[in-house]
Amino acid sequence: MGVEIDRRPLWLLLIIKAARPIFFATLAVIFYYLVVLPLPEGLSAPGRNAIAIFILCLVLWVSNVLPLAITSLFAIVLVPLLGVLSRKETYSIFGNEAVFFILGAFILAGAVMNSGISNRLSLGIMTRFGGEPRRLVLSIFFLAAILSFFMSEHAVAAMLFPIVFEIAKGLGLRPGKSNYGKLLFLALAWGCVIGGVATFLGGARVPLAVGILNESTGLTINFLTYTLAVIPLVLVMMVVASFLLLRIFPIEITDVSRAHTLLYARIQSMGKVSVREYSVGFILIATVLSWMFLGEHVGLASIALAAVVVLFVFKLVKWKDIEEYVNWGIVLMYGGAITLGTALERSGAAEWVATRTIGEWGTSPVAVIAIFSLLTLLLTEGISNAAVIAILLPIGIGIAGKFNMDPTLVTYAIAIPAGLAFSLPMSTPANAIAVSSHYITVRELIKSGLIMSVTAWIVFNLVANYYWPLLGLWGN
Amino acid sequence: MGTNYLQNPGTLKIDLMLQGLRSTDRSITDSSENSGLDIVLPGGIRVNVPCGGVFTRNSPYELIKTGKGYAVTDGDDSIKVTLAGNPAFYSRQTKSGVRFSDIATVHGSYVVITPQSGCEFFEEGIECTYCAGNFDKDGPGRVFSIDDILEVVEAVKKEKIAGIIYLSIGFSKGSDGGIQFLTPYIEAIKKFFNVLVAVEALPPKRNQWIDHTYAIGADSILYNIEIFDKELFEVICPGRSKLIGRNRYLNALKYAATVFPSGTVASHLIVGLEPPGSTRMGIDYLTDMGVVPILPIYRPAAGRALRIEPLTTEIILPVYRHLYKTVRDRKINMNWVRDISVITTPIEGRALFGDGDKEGSKFFESFYKSRLGRKTAWGLSTLRRKLRVKGAAGPPDETGGSGAKSGEGDD
Repeated sequence: MGVEIDRRPLWLLLIIKAARPIFFATLAVIFYYLVVLPLPEGLSAPGRNAIAIFILCLVLWVSNVLPLAITSLFAIVLVPLLGVLSRKETYSIFGNEAVFFILGAFILAGAVMNSGISNRLSLGIMTRFGGEPRRLVLSIFFLAAILSFFMSEHAVAAMLFPIVFEIAKGLGLRPGKSNYGKLLFLALAWGCVIGGVATFLGGARVPLAVGILNESTGLTINFLTYTLAVIPLVLVMMVVASFLLLRIFPIEITDVSRAHTLLYARIQSMGKVSVREYSVGFILIATVLSWMFLGEHVGLASIALAAVVVLFVFKLVKWKDIEEYVNWGIVLMYGGAITLGTALERSGAAEWVATRTIGEWGTSPVAVIAIFSLLTLLLTEGISNAAVIAILLPIGIGIAGKFNMDPTLVTYAIAIPAGLAFSLPMSTPANAIAVSSHYITVRELIKSGLIMSVTAWIVFNLVANYYWPLLGLWGN
Repeated sequence: MGTNYLQNPGTLKIDLMLQGLRSTDRSITDSSENSGLDIVLPGGIRVNVPCGGVFTRNSPYELIKTGKGYAVTDGDDSIKVTLAGNPAFYSRQTKSGVRFSDIATVHGSYVVITPQSGCEFFEEGIECTYCAGNFDKDGPGRVFSIDDILEVVEAVKKEKIAGIIYLSIGFSKGSDGGIQFLTPYIEAIKKFFNVLVAVEALPPKRNQWIDHTYAIGADSILYNIEIFDKELFEVICPGRSKLIGRNRYLNALKYAATVFPSGTVASHLIVGLEPPGSTRMGIDYLTDMGVVPILPIYRPAAGRALRIEPLTTEIILPVYRHLYKTVRDRKINMNWVRDISVITTPIEGRALFGDGDKEGSKFFESFYKSRLGRKTAWGLSTLRRKLRVKGAAGPPDETGGSGAKSGEGDD
């Protein structure tokens, strides 16, 4: 890479350079102002300080001026420093079960990808079901969705992208022009997004939400209950997406035999299924079943970590291979977010904020669910879905108290829509990967994504109001 | 005629450079035989004057001792001057045994260092005809190590005698104009010392090298075209004409003026090797591009292939007045190229108009020469580089795959 000389006016360059220090200085002044504000009625000093830290982190998370993980670590520094929680409490919350569950899930997903079994499965399904254009698009969509039930949607998108790209190239589809090319990548992105909310494993946001819920209220949500609660939404969205995918961009090709040949050649080059692939697959299935049926007794994190230990005992994976799959930034970010959420709750700040904000607007539990799900859907398009949870959930839990609602309902209302980002490339890596192919433009993604987002909000509220009572979730 | 110039240090500098100075003091004439004598005229104007020898025998000026000091007299009148004297470090040696004076020469506020004394024009017999052989005529020439150069710069800094390190290099056949060779020297100087670095090189074939030169720390760049007239350029500078080309010189200077700060891109136009009208055209052309013309005076000397009768002061003075007026009117910063004893800088042209005595000028003059002024200049130059340069300062991709547009084919 060579040198580039920026020829813009020097005053402009100076302003750009100064923007960051000015931003931090302003933030520091505002933070100081908040910390020394006279105490309003009903709020304790630790509560006021917790709100100040929360606002600081909110600005940093949304602006992305610092990496998300660093903002979280900063929160951990400030919480004991300003007397919101003791040091001992703060760091023990950081070691929350959810953090270790996320860590275990990352390692497990890494092992699955590293073994090659996920790749083989993808190629196999596409070869088996993708014999004609419509079926190929749908097989990519369903494959991405179902894989995202079991592993991070980000990992699925990254894994399937080269395969889909190769198919598009092999079929001679022109980037930006071919409707079929757009559909292939839209199918990949939507599959990952919808499938990603189906279980705890699609992303780390649900464990994060459960972690915050657990630290704040002592309540928890188990793997099976969550999946049961969300599955109607996932199924309806899958049907809607399949319908839209076949109609939104008219397909211009009639033959995909070249793609079929290409996929077949790739699967042939992988050779026969190895013992390692079988073993990793077996451990993954056993882990998922344990999460479903033993999760409540043994703990999700313990099961995840036990599976990791088994992988290493049988030398199915090496630490070096795993390191690149573990996103330490996310692990740290979640630890900090859970700590901050708990600090807001325990200091009484969350309740105080809740009663003076959404508490004023929400007229009933149904309205609260509708407001929070809408807010989450809007926010998650622009900022990290984990940040959305860290921002909204502590307040949501406070609101639940006001309406005498079960806090788990608000947790669902935030954790599920937080994963349903369809419209913007920055909202989730799956969208970003689709746009990076140059087959689909941001404008096309927004246009089609808006339909999906509106549908998702309506379906979510219908599910919440008419299906969840059947599960006893509105029991309180 | 001398008396007409004696009272104005601006005109006197030019006349002294042309006519030299007689002296009966053998210690002075012997020590300045090769490099000339650096004296400081009233108003702080420094001049390097040929002193002693055949060339100065008919000079109207004589250096005389007046009590504790010195004066220059033309027989009728005299003015007090100061001998700049040699820096103390000239007498020292580097750890590797090289004399500091072999490495560096102080010319006013500039310390001139030529890390490699080779010039490949000589190998092909196409060297500049006025060249007295500052470069070795055979082979690659002597190369000073980075450590040697750093020792010299450290000594310069300690003695506080000059603010700008001037690195020069002769022609080499690469496409980089010598910058690739100079890069480690520039980087080392910039890494260890807070000094300004000026670089005299040949125009590189591609503009990316100019970006690179700025990025690695050069604060000023000189591509010396020497002769503006197209035909005379081909005759007097055959190597530059054949292997680089006049257009490439002009295009490289034009591009450099968009990269470096105002007043830091310069080019020599030797006065006396082409008609004064041609030099004036060159001044106009260069200043239109934002380049500072620097006008050394041609002095015939033994060992040079070219023998031309030098112009007289009467003919030269209007050229220098034109230089000052043009640079001022184009609003090009004149404060960078200053206080150089071997040339008359544009800012010294002020004296030719009598502008140098104004209070404002004096204040800024003393500020720029002060330690604070030098630190400010260094700080601003460094800040500007930090703001302007993006990406890693590695050598440009020779395939020409990215970055600034290629300058190849300009001819």
